[in-house]
Amino acid sequence: MGFGDYPKEYNPAVHGPYDPARYYGKPDTPFSQVKLNEVGSWLARRNKTPSAMLGACSRAWWRWQHKYVQPKRVGMAPFFQLLVGSMTFFYVINYGKMKHHRNYKYH
Amino acid sequence: MLSRVAFRSAAARQSTSTAIAVRGSASDVSGVRDEKNFPRPVRGEPGKVRLGFLPEEWFQFFHSKTGVTGPYTFGVGLVTYLCSKEIYVMEHEYYSGLSLLLMVYVATKKLGPKVAVWLDKEVDAVENQWNEGRNETIKALEDAVKSEKEAQWRAEGQELLIQAKKENVLLQLEAAYRERLMNTYNEVKRRLDYQLEKTNLERRLSQRQMVDWVVSNVTKAITPDQEKQNLDRCIADLTALAARK
Repeated sequence: MGFGDYPKEYNPAVHGPYDPARYYGKPDTPFSQVKLNEVGSWLARRNKTPSAMLGACSRAWWRWQHKYVQPKRVGMAPFFQLLVGSMTFFYVINYGKMKHHRNYKYH
Repeated sequence: MLSRVAFRSAAARQSTSTAIAVRGSASDVSGVRDEKNFPRPVRGEPGKVRLGFLPEEWFQFFHSKTGVTGPYTFGVGLVTYLCSKEIYVMEHEYYSGLSLLLMVYVATKKLGPKVAVWLDKEVDAVENQWNEGRNETIKALEDAVKSEKEAQWRAEGQELLIQAKKENVLLQLEAAYRERLMNTYNEVKRRLDYQLEKTNLERRLSQRQMVDWVVSNVTKAITPDQEKQNLDRCIADLTALAARK
């Protein structure tokens, strides 16, 4: 599986049109339904190769796109989400510098 | 814009929940198109958000445990904690951020509805433009079907017309036949009348001839003696008659 290829589990004859927001492999228990004592084994079962992680990020991106950006009549929500997300991201990466601007010594 | 998003919460939540249910039950690799587990993706309604950007699902997550104010309490508590411990540092950019937030809020509330109306119109215009060719083709084909049906109806009318013309020709033939019959009858009657007239005339002429001949012969046959005797006889009869009176 090189760059730009479909996931190898995707079979057009079975799955129809490709949905980039969708995982075509064998589904595991959703994370929201995992018991606390099973979290370890659940994490151990995850595929941690770089391509799999990138694939997960890509699916999350497309899920967000389909839900908030691609519908016919969207509001400002996706733009505000992008704005807040980027603000948070840049705040976090600059946090080391921000720390020096604290106003109080003791909290 | 927010109100519009609020409107669509229920539908959006339902669609996402069904999508998750479908996603949970992927199938084997049989090589046959699996419409049940892998339906064709459809373009959904936008997901519902609160406060402009926070997904509705995050609030729903709190509801079963904390009630509807729980998520707000959590948010305010978290912000309070971050600010009070100065984990979130309020440096100079924080205040410019506040003013920017105010401006964005006012712009959204003031311009948002108008921009939304304009954009909705644009969206509809673009969609109509994309559908125009297809709709026109459909309309043209429907018109063609309609005109074809009308042509068939007219062809049926043509058959009726042809039938009527045939009947007309038959009537004309019948009329010509009867006219000739009448003609024949008249001609025959005329000849027979002629014959009758001719026969009558011949008989009348011969009779007259015969009468003339008989009269002339009788007249020729009367002698003066006979005439004299006859006269005498008459006078005698007259005398007898007069005597009887």
